[in-house]
Amino acid sequence: MLGVARLLTSRLNHTFALSTSRLSLLLGSSSSSRGLSSGGVRSKVEAVLNLEEVKKVLSDLRAEDIQIIPVKSQCEWTDFMVIATGTSTWHVRNIAQALIHKVKQKQKGAERLLLPSVQGHEGGNWVVIDSGNVIVHALDEKARSYYKLESLWLTEMAPKGPNQDLEKALNTSASPYTLGYRPLNISSQ
Amino acid sequence: MRTNLKVVDNSGAKRVMCIQALKGKKGARLGDTIIASVKEAQPRGKVKKGEVVYCVVVRAAMPRGRCDGSEIKFDDNAVVLVNKQGEPIGTRVFGPVPHELRKKKLVKILTLAEHIA
Repeated sequence: MLGVARLLTSRLNHTFALSTSRLSLLLGSSSSSRGLSSGGVRSKVEAVLNLEEVKKVLSDLRAEDIQIIPVKSQCEWTDFMVIATGTSTWHVRNIAQALIHKVKQKQKGAERLLLPSVQGHEGGNWVVIDSGNVIVHALDEKARSYYKLESLWLTEMAPKGPNQDLEKALNTSASPYTLGYRPLNISSQ
Repeated sequence: MRTNLKVVDNSGAKRVMCIQALKGKKGARLGDTIIASVKEAQPRGKVKKGEVVYCVVVRAAMPRGRCDGSEIKFDDNAVVLVNKQGEPIGTRVFGPVPHELRKKKLVKILTLAEHIA
């Protein structure tokens, strides 16, 4: 039985808070990013990691089996999921550190650093780096085969289109009711 | 304490009873971690009945206020089993989970979840 969530008033677009600084100060702070032309949303995207940089960092570190999954259609809280495998726990932690280093380099000179949050760093088993639009998962071999993240996001969460089972059941049933006809109920005959 | 909670992942447990809320004097709320004892488990699962486990509350019947003024409440109290380092023991989470987990640095549970409220 699914628990039903009830929202008492309408939910506006959620603002997620990243670990260190506050989002309201973004326009003034990051002087390194030149593309501040179109206002608040654009600068939010540039201040943290984007996809090409993540790809470059992961390929530099020789992370294995990098997969990028666009989940914009299935999920509202993020746009891309990047999954990478590390050879050992040290490698996995190294991937996380390298991404943070990249973000720090990008924001050199700004008075406040907007760092993506890192979770699972102590365990070294599965490290998640949450940078807004892009979420990077760094796992080791065992964790990857245990959690099966690609099969979760590619197949199991496949866009729930029109319910095919229901349609099939309606179309193949032989009863005239399902085809849209209703036999005339003429009692005089 | 002594709250019966439903387990919504595939770790093998079905019902747990809370024995300690780790943070907060007044008890754990949505997104908090608790220590619980497994009261009912599936026969072939990763946890057995009587084990003491750490859990994260993912659905609570008590309304939780959001920063835009709305409140969210669910029909049941549900929990996901976690190990001491915070890694989920199960591999899939069923049912809706709230956005509050992102701020609490529980993105792993969000990625395994099937629906986010």
